[in-house]
Amino acid sequence: MGDPAPSQLSEAMNRLWQKFLPQMEQRLATLQDAAARLASGAGLSEEEQAAAAGEAHKLAGVLGTFGLTEGTELAREAELLCEGRLDTSPDAVTRLAAIGEKLKAMVESR
Amino acid sequence: MHRILIIDDEDDIREVAALSLETVAGWEVMVASSGAQGLARAATYQPDAILLDVMMPGMDGPATFRELQKNPATAHIPVMLLTAKVQATDRSRFADLGVKAVLVKPFDPMALSQQVAEILGWN
Repeated sequence: MGDPAPSQLSEAMNRLWQKFLPQMEQRLATLQDAAARLASGAGLSEEEQAAAAGEAHKLAGVLGTFGLTEGTELAREAELLCEGRLDTSPDAVTRLAAIGEKLKAMVESR
Repeated sequence: MHRILIIDDEDDIREVAALSLETVAGWEVMVASSGAQGLARAATYQPDAILLDVMMPGMDGPATFRELQKNPATAHIPVMLLTAKVQATDRSRFADLGVKAVLVKPFDPMALSQQVAEILGWN
């Protein structure tokens, strides 16, 4: 008979994923909204920039815990793009938008 | 049975860590969602160890750790910081505070208790 902990943990983790999915989707939406505003040329206020960096940081901390290791790496990249002096070059803005799309697909398909 | 206090403002991380330590290791877990709440719970609950998030609104992890150290009722409790910051400079800065260890988020829920046990010599 195997150790029941792994299967119990796995089932419980899946329940937690469902519980916190709306929260993760909200964090992702904040990040994507920031990318969209930058792409439109509208720019971000300091508060909006801090919110985007903060949500990316939280996503980086949690996605890998649910098995989405690449999601953590992408979220870390988004955090770096959003913190400090904001890089609004076309390359950076395009990359941030691409990260948002990739993260959305990962979260939706887990 | 070991008793652990988790202090983290993020409810998803708090619940996953608690689930992990309870399910895999069978430890008793108490949680707090802020530094201030963590200070109070540490003093009354007297855990064997504390997992403390670095980035929290209000009193952050380092400030909470300093307050824990000031209080004779909690100064002896080993503290491990939890952070999603992976840059070496950040981790070195946190380690210099005098905490027992700096654990990086995300963690593997199946391995977290083993990691904590090794750091604290509970094996």
